[in-house]
Amino acid sequence: MKKKQYAVIGLGTFGYNVAVELEKKGIQVLAVDNDSEIVNKISAFVTQALIADATDEKAMEDAGIADCDTVIVSIGESIETSILSTLIVKELGVKNIIVKSASSWHSKVAAKIGANTIVYPEFEMAKKLVDGIRSPNILEQIELSKEYNLIEVVAPKEIWGKTIKISGFRNNYGVNIIAIRKQIPFINDDGQSDMKEETNMVPGPEDEIDQNDILVVVGSKESLAKLKGDK
Amino acid sequence: MIKDDSQEANHIELGKFYFLNNKFNEAVAEFEKVLEVNPSNAEAYYNIGLIKEVSNLPNEAKDMYSKALAIRPDYKIARDRLNKLIGIEN
Repeated sequence: MKKKQYAVIGLGTFGYNVAVELEKKGIQVLAVDNDSEIVNKISAFVTQALIADATDEKAMEDAGIADCDTVIVSIGESIETSILSTLIVKELGVKNIIVKSASSWHSKVAAKIGANTIVYPEFEMAKKLVDGIRSPNILEQIELSKEYNLIEVVAPKEIWGKTIKISGFRNNYGVNIIAIRKQIPFINDDGQSDMKEETNMVPGPEDEIDQNDILVVVGSKESLAKLKGDK
Repeated sequence: MIKDDSQEANHIELGKFYFLNNKFNEAVAEFEKVLEVNPSNAEAYYNIGLIKEVSNLPNEAKDMYSKALAIRPDYKIARDRLNKLIGIEN
């Protein structure tokens, strides 16, 4: 089977890191930017690095963009350049285009011209940061659908030492515990106290919830808000 | 006050024993006794930090790791755990 190939156009902090992380996962990456210094810097970490103007259709075609399964357009400094580049990538027939957006208008225009996925990292990180400050017990939150979320939450005090069944977690909060992360203390080879994490991926009704457990919970947004103490 | 090294070591060992057995309040009490005898014991601060971390009190854990590192800047395990809590990759 042909190996998947990705291109990253625009090697600012976001694009640079996306390209390097993809390559670390064994995915072939073509990295493109018009800044020779940054292209030289990334050339040691990706399959191919090219200096090219992302708004030059011929240059993009010659770079082999059309052969890529997925193209990530991460041009942050100019919305106009990002839009034009996205349009060129679309016209070259790339099936999956991901665009890093700089504003809600940028997102709307990118969607109109055929971007398959829009990411807005600054906005998403800001939201995550605020959620983390507001609910310090919520360690992670993933949207599963419009109605359902998955969250990682520190085990509430009232259920410490109880089994899942006795805790009445499902009845009281209307959510399901799908995994329990436990911190296990141990002494390492240097004689120092240390701890490691163990995850119970199939918690049963008789499994006990300890003081320092982290629960991975799935439920409706309304039920999870109750658990988080929002309502 | 004259430092009693054996007393310090005994409290450290007992603290680690409690830590291993998930008796965190008792463990912290032992490490605090170490600090009463010797306020410059980096290992005691590190151990209290670890218990704060395991108890999901990251700010208090960071504070303890920082104190351990102020005493022993080359305390690798404390540095690694502090970096992880702050969000810096080691």
